[in-house]
Amino acid sequence: MRLFPILSGRPRYHARVMQKEPIPFQEILPLKLKATVSGKGTKTSSVCCIQEMSVLFACLSSNEYEQSPCQREIESFKKCYNDYTREKAKKIDRDMKGILTPGEKNLTPKQLNLLLKSYPQV
Amino acid sequence: MAGINSLFKTKILLKPNTFSAIVQNGMAIFPSYYIEPIYKKEDQEALKKSGEISEYVHMPTKAALNSQTCSVSYDPILSLFTNYLMRKGQKELARNLVERSLEQVKRIQLERYHKCNSDEERAKIELNPKIIFHRAVENGKPLLQLMPVKRGGVKYQVPVPISEYKARFLSMNWLIEAGREKDRTKVRFWTQLARELVDASNNTGKVVRRKQELHKQCEANKAYAHYRWS
Repeated sequence: MRLFPILSGRPRYHARVMQKEPIPFQEILPLKLKATVSGKGTKTSSVCCIQEMSVLFACLSSNEYEQSPCQREIESFKKCYNDYTREKAKKIDRDMKGILTPGEKNLTPKQLNLLLKSYPQV
Repeated sequence: MAGINSLFKTKILLKPNTFSAIVQNGMAIFPSYYIEPIYKKEDQEALKKSGEISEYVHMPTKAALNSQTCSVSYDPILSLFTNYLMRKGQKELARNLVERSLEQVKRIQLERYHKCNSDEERAKIELNPKIIFHRAVENGKPLLQLMPVKRGGVKYQVPVPISEYKARFLSMNWLIEAGREKDRTKVRFWTQLARELVDASNNTGKVVRRKQELHKQCEANKAYAHYRWS
């Protein structure tokens, strides 16, 4: 038997003390939005041209890997990849510059930060 | 030398915004904003006619390479092939080899031409070795390549679309390797390369088979295609 707590005359709490109403609010983080956005949400793991690739494989394997009967599939596959690389290069170029074009709907984080900086809301 | 290389590499990694005045363009002499030279007379004439020449007059332009000429016989792709063929900077030797193999191609085609019996068969045979070379390179270009991607400690060979530049390089390199694969004592390089060129232009031979094997491997690994860019 532990005698010390009894003899010391202190009240014994075996459990958490019940909160009294009204419960006081603790502000752990500041209750306002930041003036910036992080670019975490934009990262997508999109794998391009999977559909075209599978069509191409189907054609090639049915023709014993002869390319001449599959010209259409090859063209579409190449076009898909070329378009993808061109768009990607363009996007990287634009993101690096962070140029704002009026009326644009999908803004990159960099552009958003530029906007938020020039028109602070908070 | 390795130390110097790494020095330059660190400079490439610098963001262009940070040091806009001094941007090292790899090991190149000219900065990245220098434009490619327009060395063909026809192109220059076309620019003069359309009036676009005034835009180019004050642009900083790279010096034309030693091999770049406005000659009729100049072929940029053939010149690139010569450079890929070259070892230890022996350009003259490389150029000789290419020229001799083209001559050999001409000989092979002429032999076939004279063996033909009818005019219809003769009309089918291409006698221009340069056209045969271009066809061979075109037929050797792969559509895909395999890239090793590490996932969960295992390396998967993932089929990936290939850039035009890389495809051309692979095709040319395979041609060169096929030319080297021969009996060392009996057959000369240009003879073998000529045979390979003619074969590849007819969509047969080692290079085309190698390309098809790569395509087969890519198809065998098509289940891993989702692992790309991760």
